[in-house]
Amino acid sequence: MIAPFSHVLIVAGILFALGAFCAVVRRNLIMIVLGIEIMLNAASIVFVAASLHLNNLDGQSFVLFILAVAATEVSVGLAIIVYAFRRTGSFDPRNFNLLR
Amino acid sequence: MTLYGIFFYLISAVVIAATAVAVTRENLLHAVVYLIISFFGTAMLFYLFGAPLLAALEVIIYAGAIMVLFLFVVMMISSRPSGEALFPPRQFLPAVFFCLLYLLVAAAMAVQTPGLNAPLQTLTASPRLFATYVFKYHWFSIEVISMLLLVAAIGALNLGTAGRPGVKKDVPEQPEKPPTGSNPGAQVSGRTED
Amino acid sequence: MPGSPSHTLDLAAMIAATMLPLASCLVILIAARSRPRLCAALSIGSATIALVCSIALMALNSKMGAPIQFTTDFIASSGLNIGFGFLLDRLNLLMIVVVSSICFLVQVYSLGYMAGDSGFSRYYGFMSLFTWAMMSLSLSASLLQLYFFWELVGLSSYLLIGFWYEKFSATQAGKKAFIMTRAGDTAFFIGILVLFLHTGDLSIANLGSRAPLAHLSPSFLTLCALLIFGGIVGKSAQFPLLTWLPDAMEGPTPVSALLHSATMVAAGVYLFARLFPFFSLSAVAMSVFLAIGTISMLLASTMAMVSRDIKKVWAYSTISQLGFMIMALAAGGYFAGIFHLTTHAGFKALLFLCSGVFIHHFETNDVYELSRRGARRMLIPMVSMVLGAAALSGIPPLSGYFSKEAVMGSLAGLADPVWLAAGLTGVFLTAYYTFRLIFILLFPRKSEVSSAPSHESAPHTAPAMALPLIILATVTAVLGFFETPLKHFLENGMIPGIVTGVRVGAWPHMAALALALAGVALAWTEFGRKGAEQIGFIDRIPVLYRLFSERWYIDRFYALLVDLVVDRGLSRLCNLNDRKVIDGGIEGVCGATVESGKVTAVLQTGMVQYRLIVIFAVLALLSLYYYY
Repeated sequence: MIAPFSHVLIVAGILFALGAFCAVVRRNLIMIVLGIEIMLNAASIVFVAASLHLNNLDGQSFVLFILAVAATEVSVGLAIIVYAFRRTGSFDPRNFNLLR
Repeated sequence: MTLYGIFFYLISAVVIAATAVAVTRENLLHAVVYLIISFFGTAMLFYLFGAPLLAALEVIIYAGAIMVLFLFVVMMISSRPSGEALFPPRQFLPAVFFCLLYLLVAAAMAVQTPGLNAPLQTLTASPRLFATYVFKYHWFSIEVISMLLLVAAIGALNLGTAGRPGVKKDVPEQPEKPPTGSNPGAQVSGRTED
Repeated sequence: MPGSPSHTLDLAAMIAATMLPLASCLVILIAARSRPRLCAALSIGSATIALVCSIALMALNSKMGAPIQFTTDFIASSGLNIGFGFLLDRLNLLMIVVVSSICFLVQVYSLGYMAGDSGFSRYYGFMSLFTWAMMSLSLSASLLQLYFFWELVGLSSYLLIGFWYEKFSATQAGKKAFIMTRAGDTAFFIGILVLFLHTGDLSIANLGSRAPLAHLSPSFLTLCALLIFGGIVGKSAQFPLLTWLPDAMEGPTPVSALLHSATMVAAGVYLFARLFPFFSLSAVAMSVFLAIGTISMLLASTMAMVSRDIKKVWAYSTISQLGFMIMALAAGGYFAGIFHLTTHAGFKALLFLCSGVFIHHFETNDVYELSRRGARRMLIPMVSMVLGAAALSGIPPLSGYFSKEAVMGSLAGLADPVWLAAGLTGVFLTAYYTFRLIFILLFPRKSEVSSAPSHESAPHTAPAMALPLIILATVTAVLGFFETPLKHFLENGMIPGIVTGVRVGAWPHMAALALALAGVALAWTEFGRKGAEQIGFIDRIPVLYRLFSERWYIDRFYALLVDLVVDRGLSRLCNLNDRKVIDGGIEGVCGATVESGKVTAVLQTGMVQYRLIVIFAVLALLSLYYYY
């Protein structure tokens, strides 16, 4: 008997909202990627808890994939950020508006 | 409330608090370190929910590999504080509004959906059981994921070497200066670094 | 009706007479242009076959009863049925004989006239085109088909007027002719459409029998008749569209002889005769036609009195004689109009061809110049010309005398004597201007002759040019005696009940003859007798002289009208519409698009975080939507 599943959902929801907030508000490319990590993490928590709730290991398996995708995303994302920083000397997303 | 329940709420509070602090730090280094705490907490939650292997992987990959990668990048590129407001209101206010709306909806859904209030039972999936399950039912996805990792590694390598002098690649010559935010000093230092 | 051997023969002859000139035209224009002699041979060959076929048809059907018709469906749809094919009756038997013989003679004549011209092959190609179009026009079975060939005739006229396209005035004259006839043809086409909408039938045979027209109201018939008559006005150069014909003299002289005097311009009169039963249904329209014919006849005669250009004199005279034909037809003299058409085709072609000989030899159009350089010494053309001129003036026993008497007879049958008076005036004027020209040519002033080189030997006329002259002169001399057989031939085919001239006393004939002789006498006293100053009485009145030589200011009036209505009115309106409405509208739409784009572009900042915000907002609202 740990806690109701809904509480886990709410905790994950708060985490997700924090991640979204971070990705949206902070004017820094690295913080945007960090926010995305937080959101992925929140999703992982829900998956694991749901796996327990439903007594099905598929949820845990997906967390494994989420880890791999997060690692992928971070490696490529950070490489892009470094490349962009070399070009402009800035992390500010307002400077990357060539598509405007 | 059981001991596990106390643990859950405690750890949840720590995770949320650490994440919230991380999100609000101006110094990136601090933010990353606080986030590592958050991920440790998440790993404990995983353990609590009966996923010891995932808990270990969370610590190793998230807190270990990914966050350390962030640390490297942050420390390698010393960015000066911009001196601007941390939360520019044009982004802050709508973000807060929609996050709160989102939370409200999520909470309402979580409370009102029937069957979600049943407390979780303690149950552990041993690494052997989990590994057997994954490789029995999701072996193809594992292969796809490994391919994705390989591609990402090659891509990151390519991006990391692109634009450096002395590296023979079919990248275009040093890209022209973008119209905004151009910082010649950074380019010079970027070259001299190598 | 087809099936009996005689009719099969008719059909074959008609197909040969119409299709061979087309084939010759195509071969010449596509393949044989580099070989002028072959072109001439092809064209003259096809014209010969057309002539032979026409004469054969005439011989075969000299006692024909009902018209022969071969038609197939051209446009067949529900409630829409327009035939296409051949219609053969007495009128177009006569017409195709006239057309093909003049075509043949003029083409032979052109061998001499056009020899050495750089456009020799092209000339014969166009000539074949014209032969085809004119023969087909004469044989058309439906009004729409006739209209096609009507336009094709107009096209070949345009091509041949502008034949020497290096000359600016020639291209201008071609365009003028094309556009002015087009103005009439537009009315003609509208008339065809209106008629078709109300009767559903364009077959000429049916229009002639009056049956489908019985239920139509008189005012509608008048409208249709006037619209169709618009085409006749354009094609036959009647008032108010008469000024293109003098300018059309820019083309080669044989072309003027063939198209602009004998056949093409007579197509309008032919159409009038063709639809004579239809036109005669509307008395109002007929009196309008009578008025138009009279006005054109008198106007053109006055213009001819002052012109120094030999071809223009004949051109004005053509307009005037066409006016006579229209008057005769409109007065109910069906036979008189057709007969005058036939004789006029002969003597006017003769006059033009004679002038062509002079122009070819002396390379000038000016009458006084021709006279000074000794045109009278060219025996064959000069004699032929005097013959033709006498015929034109109505001097017995030449063909023009008989036809003009017939015209006067039909005019005398009218209740109102004004028309007869106008006709008699026309006869007098015709004789005067014709013999003015002849006397100028025959009796050059002494002072000028002495300055001209007199040791030149008498100019020689090429046989190819002389032969047609002799043939035409013979025809002119004897055609008048065939009046009675022709009258029987034509009137036997008429639908009974149509007024074909009223018997009147002999006095109009006498008066016409007397007036013609008076005209000749006046011309003699002014231009012919010894010591005459060769200045006409019109030349002594400057106002009249200017009025006549400026063609009654009709061209000026058109120029003014075009300037006022088209250039200043319509085109300015169109220009305004273009700039303000269309351009303004497009610019407004474009500007609005650009401005709204600028407004919405404020939202598109290229900032990745704003997009993230939007994504989250949409997700939140979507979840709200699905949850509640």
